Order: sequence, then C-alpha cells, then structure tokens
Amino acid sequence: MNDAALEPVTQDIVVDEVFPHSPETIWKTLTDGELMARWIMPPSGFEPVVGKRFTFSTMPAGEWDGVIHCQVLEVVPNQRFVYAWKGGHEDNVGYGSRLETVVTWTLSKAGEGTRLRLVHSGFVLPKNDTAYQNMSEGWSKVMHNLDAVAAEQEASSTRH
Amino acid sequence: MRTLADPTRRAVYERIVGADEITVAELTRGSGVTQGAVSQHLKSLKQAGLVAERPEGRNVYYRAQPAGLAPLVDWMSHYGVFWRERFADLRTLLKEIDP
Repeated sequence: MNDAALEPVTQDIVVDEVFPHSPETIWKTLTDGELMARWIMPPSGFEPVVGKRFTFSTMPAGEWDGVIHCQVLEVVPNQRFVYAWKGGHEDNVGYGSRLETVVTWTLSKAGEGTRLRLVHSGFVLPKNDTAYQNMSEGWSKVMHNLDAVAAEQEASSTRH
Repeated sequence: MRTLADPTRRAVYERIVGADEITVAELTRGSGVTQGAVSQHLKSLKQAGLVAERPEGRNVYYRAQPAGLAPLVDWMSHYGVFWRERFADLRTLLKEIDP
C-alpha cells in the first residue's frame, strides 16, 4: 500500500450565499466577538489574531463537555478568515463524536454585494461509493427534517 | 469515528468495501501487515458495526455494513443544518446593522 492510499478521506460542508452588503460589513460580523455572538454563538476569548485560541460552548454529549476549541489560523481582512474547530469525544457516536475540522470563510465581490462562502472541512470518511451513497441519502433525509439537536442548538444560541 | 482513524484499518475497511466479500487471507495479501494484525482490525471494525461476517465452512467472509456510517451522517448533517441556520441569522443581523 502506498502512502496515497493511506491519506484520510474527508468530506466538506459548503454554504455559499450572496448578501446585499459590502465585504467590510460582513467581515465585521465574522471577526467581532459581539457580532459573532449574535449569529453564530458567543465566543470566549476571541480575537481575530493568528494563533489566538478561543472557544464556543454547545450542548454536551456523554463524556464531551460541549466545548468547541478553536484557533485562528488565517486572517486576510475582508477576504479570508480561517479557524480550527475541534471538539467531541472518542466515545460518542453521532452528535458529539470526535471532530477535528477547519472552518474557512471566503468573501468576494458579487455585483453590488458580497459572496460569502463557508467551507467546514475535515469530516473524516471512508473512501467508497457505497458509503457516499448512503451518506447522501441519509444527508438529504436529515436535511429535510431538522433534527432535535439542531433545534436545541438553535434555542441555546443568543437571540436579539 | 475513531475506528477509521488508523490508516491500516482504514485501508482494510476500504478493501472490504471494494470487494463484495473477502476473507482474512485475501485481506492480508499485499497489506504489508500480518494476518493477526488484520484480524485485530477486523475485530474493531466489527465492533464499530462497519463490517459483518459470514462463516462458510472453514472460511469467514467479510463484507461492509454501510449502515455503520450513520453516525458520521448524523454529526455532519448536524453541522449542515447548523450553518444554514447561521446564514439565515446573519442575513437578519446584516439587515439590522446595515439597512
């Protein structure tokens, strides 16, 4: 077996939308702790500085206290913002299982507004068609009925 | 999915997926590890619900159980939903701060 065959296979979540606001305004909502709290979750110890570690608190599961450990990896004002997103526990299955991922925000001009692209990468998966087929079937099923976890998450995040 | 974090185990799993059914001996060939090691990996994969076994005479045949991947679907779809909702919240917030 060569090394290439041993590379872990990962899958990404991508959300890509255009907003009728300037990149500068959107950048602020991504990199200002108080504004982040209003649409993602309240961060703890956040500063948009490379190397800075911060956390989010979410719903605990089993051995996991629900804390997401993040670290700022890249800051290119009004263009690109990247942080590590780690959490979960090895003993959990499904929600709360081990997670070592990266969240990448990319901003680009789109007409009068801004295209904001989120890539949440690093969900480790086995490389095979059967798995992907099952993944995407399960995926679309779940996407169509918001699960209870997401609803609770929703309820626990700050609202204004 | 700690079960698949080990590269050798992942390779074993992928070979099971790639084959319809496969024996330990076949899995060991070309794997670069001993049959004992392959058996250990199979045990972990079985415990994780990723493979099923079917004894037939003196052989045991292994095949993949895609249902074992449901936990990954669960965790990933949680985030799929989570981020879409966050985008909706962001749209609302931007309207407020930048009418």
